Amino acid sequence: MNGFIRGDYMKRIEYKVPDGKLVAAEAEAINGVLTKIKITGDFFMHPESTIKDLEDTLKGKQVAKLEKIINNFFDKSNIQLIGVSATDFLHVIKLSLADSS
Amino acid sequence: MDDWRLIDMRIEDASTQMAIDEAIAYARVSERNPNTIRLYRWNPSAVSVGYFQSILNEVDIDACKKFGFDIIRRITGGGAVFHDYNGEITYSLIAPDDDPKIPRDIVSSYKLICGCLIDGLKELGVESEFKPINDIIAGGRKISGNAQTRRYGVILQHGTVLVDCDVNKIFSVLKVSGVKISDKAIKSAEERVTSIRKYLGKDVSFEEGRNALIKGFENRLNIQLNPGELTDYEKTLVTQFKKKYQSDEWVYQR
Repeated sequence: MNGFIRGDYMKRIEYKVPDGKLVAAEAEAINGVLTKIKITGDFFMHPESTIKDLEDTLKGKQVAKLEKIINNFFDKSNIQLIGVSATDFLHVIKLSLADSS
Repeated sequence: MDDWRLIDMRIEDASTQMAIDEAIAYARVSERNPNTIRLYRWNPSAVSVGYFQSILNEVDIDACKKFGFDIIRRITGGGAVFHDYNGEITYSLIAPDDDPKIPRDIVSSYKLICGCLIDGLKELGVESEFKPINDIIAGGRKISGNAQTRRYGVILQHGTVLVDCDVNKIFSVLKVSGVKISDKAIKSAEERVTSIRKYLGKDVSFEEGRNALIKGFENRLNIQLNPGELTDYEKTLVTQFKKKYQSDEWVYQR
């Protein structure tokens, strides 16, 4: 159980960050390109509205480049994450993609 | 000692409560409204979800409709909360985020503000402690959950203090994640939460709870709370923000 289980909805994967919060992803990729992404959970991200910017940034990008894009996104901004990290976002997105492929 | 405004034990529906919190925060942009502590209760009872939560995965919408409970999304992150009219006091704290009393670091500020609640609970005889990131536990069980945002140049933190807990009702409206339970190795819902009444094994009134929390805020923050009302500008903002909180676009956005 130490990791993830399938959520109630198709391709939704939840991941409980150790000593942190719960983060979930619903992701879909076609031909190696991320076509759908929704990130949810009980984590904290300040400012909150930037979650949408992150999703918009990832959409249409190559899955192979997600790590770099996510790291860039957080490096460039003043976004503060609490209970979750950029690495956790990447991890749960990859789990979701692995589960739906 | 600084004077802060107390908006005392208003009983309102979910969209009004959330609109009041945001209105007080937003009003800072253009007027010097006072630093504020609110204590309040939700009528009808309601479920609030955190800003980032998937509402369909967290809330049993049909059960809420059956019981007549409001469903709302907060502007703060964090988890889903059942605001039981008969079992819970909610508080909020709104102050400029550069107020000398408020740590700039978010986790430190949780600790400080949760300290006010811990002091208040102690007044009642409840020994509790801060459990990072944003919880307070008593006897190993959660008695308070908290969430904050920083926007409009202010810190807004709100949270819940359980006075009574109807565990069956809580878990009939909230869906509990499998990974969260497995992570915490918890066997049953009853082992996860407690309340002032459950902890003390006696009846404690809302007024006693309110009085204790006020003492906790005043002592820990070294402030005096003076009962006050919303300004006219804040009232106008409440009307505007209520529309957002009542809209499906907001509540069901995620």
